[in-house]
Amino acid sequence: MRLKARTLEGLYALFLLLPLLFTLGVFFLYAFLRAVYFSFTDYDLFSPPRFVGLANYLRLFQDPPFLKALWHTLAYSLVVTSLQTFLALLLALALNQPLKGITAFRTVYYLPSVISTAAASLLLLWLFQRTGLVNQALSLLLAHLPHLLALALLFALLQGAQVLWEKRKGTPTSFLDPALALLSLPLALLGTYALDLLGLVQAREARVEVPWLPTSAAFLGIPYPLWAIILMNTYTTIPTFMVLFLAGLKGIPKTLYEAAALDGASPWVMFSRITVPLLRPVLFLVITLGLIGTLQLFDQVLFVGGSGGAPIEATITLAYYVYGNVFPSGAAPRVGLASAAALFLAGLTLLVVLLQRRFGVSERGWT
Amino acid sequence: MSPKEAARRRWARVAWAYGLLLAFGVFFVGPFLMGFLASLKTDPLEWPFTLGFPQVRPKNWAAAWQLGQKGSGDPWLGGMRPGREVVLEVAYFWPEPTPPDLQAAIPRRRPGAGMGAVFEGPYAADHVGLLGPELVETRPFRLGEAEGYLHRFRLRIAYEKEGPYLERVPLDLEAPRGALLLEATLDPVRMERRGRVASWDNVVPGLLGYAFHNYVRAFRETRSLETGQSLFLRWTLNSFLIAFIKVLTTLVFASMAGYALARLRFPGRQALFLFLLFSMMVPGQVTFISNYLVLKDGIFGLSRLFGVETLLNTYAGLILSGLVGAGAVFIMKQFFESIPREVEEAALIDGATPLQTLFRIVLPMATPALGALAILTFQGTWNEFFWPFIVLTSPREIYTLPLGLLSFRNAYGQVGDWGLILAGGFLSMIPILILFAVFQRYFVEGVNVGAVKE
Repeated sequence: MRLKARTLEGLYALFLLLPLLFTLGVFFLYAFLRAVYFSFTDYDLFSPPRFVGLANYLRLFQDPPFLKALWHTLAYSLVVTSLQTFLALLLALALNQPLKGITAFRTVYYLPSVISTAAASLLLLWLFQRTGLVNQALSLLLAHLPHLLALALLFALLQGAQVLWEKRKGTPTSFLDPALALLSLPLALLGTYALDLLGLVQAREARVEVPWLPTSAAFLGIPYPLWAIILMNTYTTIPTFMVLFLAGLKGIPKTLYEAAALDGASPWVMFSRITVPLLRPVLFLVITLGLIGTLQLFDQVLFVGGSGGAPIEATITLAYYVYGNVFPSGAAPRVGLASAAALFLAGLTLLVVLLQRRFGVSERGWT
Repeated sequence: MSPKEAARRRWARVAWAYGLLLAFGVFFVGPFLMGFLASLKTDPLEWPFTLGFPQVRPKNWAAAWQLGQKGSGDPWLGGMRPGREVVLEVAYFWPEPTPPDLQAAIPRRRPGAGMGAVFEGPYAADHVGLLGPELVETRPFRLGEAEGYLHRFRLRIAYEKEGPYLERVPLDLEAPRGALLLEATLDPVRMERRGRVASWDNVVPGLLGYAFHNYVRAFRETRSLETGQSLFLRWTLNSFLIAFIKVLTTLVFASMAGYALARLRFPGRQALFLFLLFSMMVPGQVTFISNYLVLKDGIFGLSRLFGVETLLNTYAGLILSGLVGAGAVFIMKQFFESIPREVEEAALIDGATPLQTLFRIVLPMATPALGALAILTFQGTWNEFFWPFIVLTSPREIYTLPLGLLSFRNAYGQVGDWGLILAGGFLSMIPILILFAVFQRYFVEGVNVGAVKE
């Protein structure tokens, strides 16, 4: 009787799992095994696969586009992950305060991450045109550099004067006292405006026309179009990770900070000794998710390339390399090579996960 | 530190925090807002980027509304029908009391570029008559330092004979050097040849046709070659249909699988779960080759039983290959594990089967999780690109919206028509933005549900 109940439960489980087993079996397991098989063969989708051993894997590392794609993917992944982790953490720290209306701000910040990569790429294409908004903003910034310098100088002077005044009165004040700064900033703004009116500070002629997209020129070894994608993707992924950090920050007991404050700990000590260690699981999760997500960059490459956009050799990534070898324009598909590259990409992803499991803390993070 | 001092500092800190929040807000919304403004402009890449362009002036909205109404009876989209007449007034500054010599013409400009260029529409120049410019007023006028005269002209555009409905009636107005356009019933969208030629793409635009010029074009110019239907509309509906079906299948099948993994005992449960996690980590680039071939053969020929040779370029193929995602099962499993067992055990003791327990007792309690999952799935499907891009290649009518945007981008990127491309992008965002505005709590929570257990 007991055995029968067990069997019955198993049958129910089988029934409940049937759709999952179908998808997982046909479209994952079978596909994965076939990819492994293809990677050892020479296959062009039309004639039957021919076994070639490890030749594809060896050929990959002699294929210049693959090496380029590998470099682009790794550079892109590392730069975007570090940028977005750092900035998302900063943003989360700024937002983790009991202020009124903070949820409204959180909602607004989350906006860039709900849109599709397709729509984001279209926005990117416009932003990074030769006379696009990015170049215009850079020009504006360069043109008004004297104003910015004057503003910073005036602010420092005013703030310094106020702090000295307070010290003379016998109240110890730090240089970045918020109340005094709140007075210094408008005064410095007024001062800069006055200097501009007097003609002492003038806007310079500046017109930045960086050709972001139609170029293969590189900065720090990363081509300009890829930089454009890096900036855009950092911008659209920060909010998601910010939310993760916020959840993590909520989990840190307030009493720890209160105790530290009683002991006279500075904000930096509290951050580095309390926040970062306790945020470690979330930090690792964010880094892992960031690396996995960025390793598969494909959509933006396709959108940014093409007519009026970037040359493909400047933006090619591993994912695009795989696609380009399965569906090449005007050549025979090289499915074996593509499969080998795809498995290499999968290997990279698994490596990231294994590293995270090795060094990260897993009981509270990604299972 | 005195209490007064401390309070002052606290307030200052709050003020700085809000200032910082606002600055971040500008950073995260600014590019979208600017992009949206640019999508309304005639030249979205103008240098310098101005904010006071004709398309945002209420005066022009009112004029566009009225001209559209007079031209075709449709104040929204405008156009011109036989038997109608519209009047346009322009005022020029000119140093002499004798009026400047104005040349007005209705140019034979091709209606539409890119995808729209393949359609041969009627030319307004063949059907519409232009009367004027006729001088109606001359008075002395001061323009800054310069003394001179203001000359007001009236242009009448009449569609007298029988003919087809005209979507647009362009107009070029050329003035001699030194004449300055001061005002017009409807501001021209472009000044050409160093400001000597004022150019209207459409003098009977209607409100939408003027203010949302590129958005109207996005619908009008992307038409199917066979049926003449708007492709953009089709793509939007396709995306809705697929997202809707996927949300349904995901909710049902992910709940079933998640429940089995969370509650039922069967051999290989742990192994299956680990395998599920493994499948989430393998990139789609590994599996798409085989999946493409499997769909091409109609899933081992099974589709032939239903008389379908291949599942490529079909929604059935797209949906069957993604009936339920591993991530969704993972989320539901996590959720089911977080609710107490006692409720279900009572039901099981009463003799309910696991199926009854799931559908009658557990799922009604799971509405928050199901809501979050539904929204995440909708967003994911709506935005998904790679796999639909492989499966749906032709004809263009079956594309989803992101694929449509790519063909849009390729058709118009060549001629640098970024205004139209931006308009397409923004149109595709609308449903997600509405969904986000209504269910924003689920969006933000959904990220946590999938990742961090609290």
